[in-house]
Amino acid sequence: MKPRAPVASPKTADFWRVVRLFGPYKSWMTGGAVIALATLLANVGLMAVSGWFIASMALAGLAGAAMNYFTPAALIRFFAIVRTGGRYLERLVTHEATLRLLASLRVWFYEHIEPLAPARLMQYRGVDLASRIQVDIDTLDHVYLRLLVPFGVAILGLGVMLAVMATFSVRVTVSTGIFLLLGGVALPLYLQRRGSRPGQRLVESRAALRTAAADGLQGLAELRVYGAVEGQAQIVGELSNEHIQAQRELSRLTGLSQASLGLLANLALWCAVILSVPLVKARALGPPDLAMLALFVLASFEAVLPLPQALQNLGEVLAAARRLFDIVDTLPAVTSPAQPCPVPDETRLQIRGLKFRYAEGSRWVLDGLDLDLPAGARLAVVGHTGAGKSSLVQVLVRFWEYQEGDVRLGGRDLRMFQPEELRRLIAVVSQDAYIFNATVRENLLLARPEAAEEELVEACKTAQIHDFIVSLPQGYDTELGEAGTLFSGGQARRIAIARALLKNAPILVLDEPTEGLDGPTARDLLEAIGKLMEGRSVLFITHHLEALSHLMGEVAVLENGLVVEHGTVAELMQLNGAFRRMRDALLD
Amino acid sequence: MNPVEAWLKAQQSRIRGPLNLALVLGLANGSLLILQAWLLAQAIYLTAIKQHALSAVLPWLFPLPPIFVLRFLLVQASERVAFDAGAQMQSELRAELYGRLQALGPLWLASRASGDLANRVATGIEALQGYYARWLPNRALSALLPIAILVAVFPADWVSGLVLVLTAPFIPVFMILVGKGAEELNQRQWRKLARMSARFLDSLQGITTLKLFNASRREARVVAEISEAYRDSTMKVLRVAFLSSVILEFLSTVSIAVVAVLIGFRLLWGDMTFLAGFFVLLLAPEYYLPLRSLGAHYHARMEAIGAAEGLVEILQQPVPEQPRGDVPVLDAPLGIAFRGVDFAYEAGRPALTGVTFNVEPGRVTALVGASGAGKSTVLNLLLGFAAPQRGSILVNGHDLSGFDNAAWLARVAWVPQRPHVFAGSVLENIRLARPGAALEEVEAAARAARAHEFIIDLPQDYDTRVGEGGVGLSGGQMQRLALARAFLKDAPLVLLDEATAHLDGQTQAAVMEAMGELASGRTVFMVAHRLSTLSLAHQVVVLEGGRVAEIGARAELLMRGGIFARLARAHEAGVTT
Repeated sequence: MKPRAPVASPKTADFWRVVRLFGPYKSWMTGGAVIALATLLANVGLMAVSGWFIASMALAGLAGAAMNYFTPAALIRFFAIVRTGGRYLERLVTHEATLRLLASLRVWFYEHIEPLAPARLMQYRGVDLASRIQVDIDTLDHVYLRLLVPFGVAILGLGVMLAVMATFSVRVTVSTGIFLLLGGVALPLYLQRRGSRPGQRLVESRAALRTAAADGLQGLAELRVYGAVEGQAQIVGELSNEHIQAQRELSRLTGLSQASLGLLANLALWCAVILSVPLVKARALGPPDLAMLALFVLASFEAVLPLPQALQNLGEVLAAARRLFDIVDTLPAVTSPAQPCPVPDETRLQIRGLKFRYAEGSRWVLDGLDLDLPAGARLAVVGHTGAGKSSLVQVLVRFWEYQEGDVRLGGRDLRMFQPEELRRLIAVVSQDAYIFNATVRENLLLARPEAAEEELVEACKTAQIHDFIVSLPQGYDTELGEAGTLFSGGQARRIAIARALLKNAPILVLDEPTEGLDGPTARDLLEAIGKLMEGRSVLFITHHLEALSHLMGEVAVLENGLVVEHGTVAELMQLNGAFRRMRDALLD
Repeated sequence: MNPVEAWLKAQQSRIRGPLNLALVLGLANGSLLILQAWLLAQAIYLTAIKQHALSAVLPWLFPLPPIFVLRFLLVQASERVAFDAGAQMQSELRAELYGRLQALGPLWLASRASGDLANRVATGIEALQGYYARWLPNRALSALLPIAILVAVFPADWVSGLVLVLTAPFIPVFMILVGKGAEELNQRQWRKLARMSARFLDSLQGITTLKLFNASRREARVVAEISEAYRDSTMKVLRVAFLSSVILEFLSTVSIAVVAVLIGFRLLWGDMTFLAGFFVLLLAPEYYLPLRSLGAHYHARMEAIGAAEGLVEILQQPVPEQPRGDVPVLDAPLGIAFRGVDFAYEAGRPALTGVTFNVEPGRVTALVGASGAGKSTVLNLLLGFAAPQRGSILVNGHDLSGFDNAAWLARVAWVPQRPHVFAGSVLENIRLARPGAALEEVEAAARAARAHEFIIDLPQDYDTRVGEGGVGLSGGQMQRLALARAFLKDAPLVLLDEATAHLDGQTQAAVMEAMGELASGRTVFMVAHRLSTLSLAHQVVVLEGGRVAEIGARAELLMRGGIFARLARAHEAGVTT
C-alpha cells in the first residue's frame, strides 16, 4: 500500500526564517563569503592579464621593442596564488560554517520535538521524525552554500568586474552585462519556476519510497502469508520510478542550465569581439586590450555559473524547511506553569470531576471521574478497553492536558507543578515500555544515570531478570538490537520493572503490565511487581482480573469514563454489578 | 581497486551502450570547442596584430554562432543520455536489492534495523546515480578529450604540446595518492551516518519512555554529541577531498602559467606567431578542465562507493534455499505431524528439540508453555520461515520442506502476536488477504473478527488511513484486524499466535466465539497464554524448554496432575480471589 506523500506548501517566508537561524554563525559565514569573492576576482584577473600579456609580448616582438614583463608576470603569480589558496580556504571555511550550523540545528529541532512528545507526535512515526532531523536538516545546507554565498559573491564580484571593464569599453560592458543578467537572473528564475515542483516531489518521493520500503520489510511475514510479496515489490518499484522521474526532470534542467550558460558566455564573447574590432581599428582600444577583454568577458561568467543550480534547489530546500517548521510550530499539549510550586512530600492523590477528551468535539474519555489514592494505598482500576483507564495515566503524568475537574497531589493542583518535577514522583510500568538499541546497562541507567553497579544488579534481581542478563554473551554490556529484539515480551517488561525500581518513585502506576504475556510468564511477572509495590502508592490499571489477587486493596470499576463501582473485591462480588459481570465473563 | 568498486564497475556492463554514446557526444562537443578556439584566435589575430577592419574579420566570426548552438544541444544530449543510464541502474539495482531483502525473509530481518535497510533502498541506491551518470562518463572523457586537444596543439606549437604532455601525468598520480586516504575515510563516514540514523530513530521512537524517566532533555545532549562527532568526521573527509582538488588546481594553474610564459617570450623574440600562441592559450585551460571537473565528480564516486558497501553486503548475503517443489493436491482439512523436529536460530541455543506430535485434520491444537518454550518457533516452521535442522514436518503425509513456500502459504492464515499494519486504509489492510474481495466480503470478515465495531468508529471507517502516517491502532485493534484478514483468506490451516492477547474480557469472549467459527472445518494451531482460551482446543501440546512436556486433551491433562494442571490451578486461583 502506498503511503500518501505529505503535502507541504512552501513559502518564501520560510526561507528568511531559515536564514535567521544562521545568526550565531554570522562571522564564520561572512568570512567564507569574503574568501570566495577574493578567489573569484583572482581567477578572472589571471585570465585577463594573461591575455593582455601575450598580446603585448607579440606586438613588442613584432615592433622589436623592449617591454617590461616583470609587472604582468608578478600579477599573474599573485593571482594564481590567491586563486589556488583561496579556493581551498573558501571551501574549508564555508563547509565548517555550514556543518556547525547543521549540528546546532539538529539540537534545536530535537529540543522542539521533546516537549511535543507524546501527545502532539501521535500523528508522526519515528522513521518520519528521524528523517526530518537528519535528511531535512542536511538539505538546509543549500541555503548558505548554494544560495547565499554564490549570490552574494556574484553581485559584489560582478559589480567590481563590470566597473573595471567599463574603463576599457562601455559598449562591451553593456553587452556583457546583458548576457550576465540573462545567465545570472533570467535563467535562474526560469529554472526555479520549472524546478520547484520536481524539487519538492524529489523530497516527497524519497520519503514515500523509504516509508514503503520500511513498511514492506517490517510486514514481510504478513506479506508472505498473504502472497503479497511481489505486490509490495511492485509498489516499491513504482515509487522508485516516481522518484527517478523527479530526478530526471531535475537532471534535464541541469543539462539545460549548463548548456545555456555556455551558450550565453560564448555569445557574450562573440558580441564583445564584434563590438571591439572597430574600436581597435579606430585606435579607441589598444590591440592587447582586445585579447584581454575577450578572456575577461569569458571568465566573468564564472560568477554566474553556480546561480541557476542554486535556485533550482530552492524547492527542495523549502519543502524540507516546511517539514521542520511544521513540527517546530506545534504547541505542546501541556505547558509548564510560569511560577511552578515545589512538589509536595506528601503524595496523596485526589481526583474530582475529572473530564478529559483528546480533541475538541470528540467523545469525553474521562467524564467526571472521582478517585482517591492516599499515600501508600493501593487501588486497582478495572474496566473494558476504551473505558478511559490508560487516558487516566496520560493525564496523571501530564502528557495530556485535562479540560475540567480537579486533580490534586498533596493537596495542590497538578497544574501548579513543573511536569518534569511531577514525573519524578511517578514511575510507570506499561505494556509498551520501549527498549533502546543500546546495552542492557544503558537501558537500565536511563532511570537513574548515577545508579551504582550494585543497585543495578539489585534491581534486576528483584525484577527476576538478573540471571537471564548474566547468561547473555556480554552480560550487562550486551547490545540489545533494534527495539530490544533480544528480549521476549516478558523480559522487556522485567527491564521496565527494574527501571521503575531504580527510579524509586513514591507513586507507582501499573498500566496493564502483564498485557500480551502468557499465563505463567504473567504470573511470574506479578511476583516481581509485588516487590516493586512495597512501600509505594500504587495505581494498578488492568482488565485482567487475575492480577487483582496480588493487589490487596480497593478496586474502582471504570465504565465510559466514570467510576461506577468502588470497594474491595469481596464487596464488589457481593454487589452483583459490573465487576461481577466481568469476572463471570472471564470464568466461562 | 577495492572489492566494492570492482562490484560497481562490474555492473557497468548493463549500460555500456548509453555510456559509450555519452562519451561520443562529449567528444563531439570537445572537437567543436577546438574549432571554436581556432576561429576566435583568427579573429583576434587579424584585428589586434594585422589591424584588419571588421569586414575582413567577419568571415571568421560568422561560423561561430552555429557552433555555439550545436554545442548547446550536445551538452544537453550527453547529460540526458548519461542520466538515463544511471537511472536504469538505479531502477534495476533497487529492484534487486529489495527482492533480495524480501528473499532473506522475516527471521533474517528481525535482527536488522528496518529503518537502516529502508535507507539503503532509497538513498543508498540513489547515491549510485552519480557514479554511473557522472563519474564514469567524465572519467572516460578526461582520458580522451586531452588527447584530442593535444592533436590540435602539437601542429600549432610543439613546445606547448610538450609542456602539456609532461605535466598531465602528475595530476592522476597526486589524485591517487590523496584519493587512497580519502576513500577509507569516506567509507567510515558512511558507516557513521548509518549509526547516526539508527541512534536518532531509536531516540525518537522511545521518546515517550525517555520522557517518563525525565531523560528526554538529557537526550538533547546526546543529540548534540552525535551531531558534533558527525560534523567533525565529515570535516575530516572534506579536508582531504578539498586537498585533492587544490592540488589539481595548483598543478593546472602552474602548467598554464608555464605555457603562457613560454609563448610570451617566444612572441617577444619573434619565434612564434600570435595566432598559434593565442590558439594554444585558449586551449590550455580546456586541456586541464576535464581532469579538474573529474575532481568535482570524485565526490560522487566516493559517495557511491560508501553507499555500495552497504548494498553489496546485502546482495551477497546467501538467500536461504527455497524449494521450488509444487505443493501436492492436499485434501482439506490438513493433517499435520511433527517428527523429531530440531531447530536452533543460532548454533548452540536450541529452540526446539525432538518435537513430535500429530494433529488430526480439522482439529484445534493449543500450544502452551512459558515464553521462550518454543511456541512461536513451531509456528515459524509451519510458516516455512525456517526449516527444521533435523526431523520433518508432514502435511497429509508430504514433507513440508519440499513445498514451494509461496504456494504453501496460500493455504495458511496467520494471526501473529504483533500484527503489522501497513500504511494504507483499513480496507486495503484487510483486503491484503484476498485482493479481489468485495467490500461486503471484507465487512463480513471484519464483523466475524469483531473488528467492524471499532472500524466504524474511526474517522472515515473503512477508508481511514492506518499504519505509518495514519491513525494509530491499539494492540487489540491490530489483532482483530489481523483476525479479519484470516477470516477473509479462508485457508485450511489457521495459525493463531496469542490471538486474544490484547483484548479485554468482553471482547475476548466475542473473539473466542469468532475463532470457534473460524476453526470449524479447519486445522488450527493456537498459541495460548490464557487457559480460558483453551476451551476451543481438542488437544493441548505443552512445551517446556523446546521439548514436548505433555500432550493430550485439556481434561485429560488436568487429571494427570502435571505441568499443565499446575498452571491451570494457579490460573483458577488468580481469577477467583
